[in-house]
Amino acid sequence: MAVDKRMRILVVDDFQTMRRIIINLLRQLGFTNVVEAQDGQLALEKVKDDKIDLVISDWNMPNMTGLEFLKVLRSSEEYKDLPFIMVTAEGKKENVIAAVQAGVNNYIVKPFNAATLKEKLSKVIGDF
Amino acid sequence: MELKSDIQKTIENLESKTEGSVPIEEVKELIRGVKDIFEGRFESEDVHLYGELGELARFINEARKDLREFQPHLLTDQEIPDASDQLDAIVNQTEKATGSIMDSCEQLEGLNQRVIDRLISHNPPLDEDVLAGVDDALTESQNHITNIFESCNFQDLTGQRIMKIVKTLREVERQVLRMVVVFGLQNKSVDDDMRKKLEDEAELLEGPQLPGNSLEQDDIDDILNKLL
Repeated sequence: MAVDKRMRILVVDDFQTMRRIIINLLRQLGFTNVVEAQDGQLALEKVKDDKIDLVISDWNMPNMTGLEFLKVLRSSEEYKDLPFIMVTAEGKKENVIAAVQAGVNNYIVKPFNAATLKEKLSKVIGDF
Repeated sequence: MELKSDIQKTIENLESKTEGSVPIEEVKELIRGVKDIFEGRFESEDVHLYGELGELARFINEARKDLREFQPHLLTDQEIPDASDQLDAIVNQTEKATGSIMDSCEQLEGLNQRVIDRLISHNPPLDEDVLAGVDDALTESQNHITNIFESCNFQDLTGQRIMKIVKTLREVERQVLRMVVVFGLQNKSVDDDMRKKLEDEAELLEGPQLPGNSLEQDDIDDILNKLL
């Protein structure tokens, strides 16, 4: 089934620069329906208020980390299957394993490029 | 005092057992025991311990003198906060500069789109080969813009690394303050707000790893392939 590029993507990162980079790269890939949040707590509100189809989240954030945010989503019946990609500088093996155990769909380590983002998106939502 | 009472007790035991008549061998044994106590255990352990304590006391006194000369309050009141401020300024300035670079990239993207729109809507329509040539050039231009965006990753990573250094500096500041209090060099207590802030920061993860300490994307993909 073809990917609907109008899907709503939530980008979560406490660094504005990184949010802009991801949003711009998504736009290059044809995804323009993007909302953003600065931490897991605010992201949770966005997920509840907006109809989010995919989450791309940083790990290391104040208030609520990406991992905590992911765990909250996975513990909810409504969002337990919401596609979730972790984009983080945390490249340690134990972090990757913890994220997988929490239910992440894919994991991108920073710094990354548009090709990596495209490849990971394809694995989660299908080829586009 | 304890040694003397032990010896006294032993003599009394001997006296009661032998009703005042003590064999010479037992007396010799008693003397050997006393000799061992004074020359052996006392000298090798207790005297050594007293010596160590003396050394420790001298070391603490020297450390106090050194700390006084070192003027730790300058470090905690001025130098570490200044260094932290400088690092914060680097993060803010690079963030601002990166934002400015990305603004320009977005402007360029807008201009590229305007060129495309103008050429497509040109009347009379332009030659297909001309349009294809311009399209190739604009695609290449867009690739360069994407590369610039990708390169802006550096600001996030350097920012996180610098924040890690700031956190370490604050911890050094806190430990120096503790030493100041312990050695009674200055009547200043460790700031509770700072302690709370440090504890909160400690809850965050360590930040980006240095190259070599972190897995590359390919290694992570291998793990994901096994686990997902």
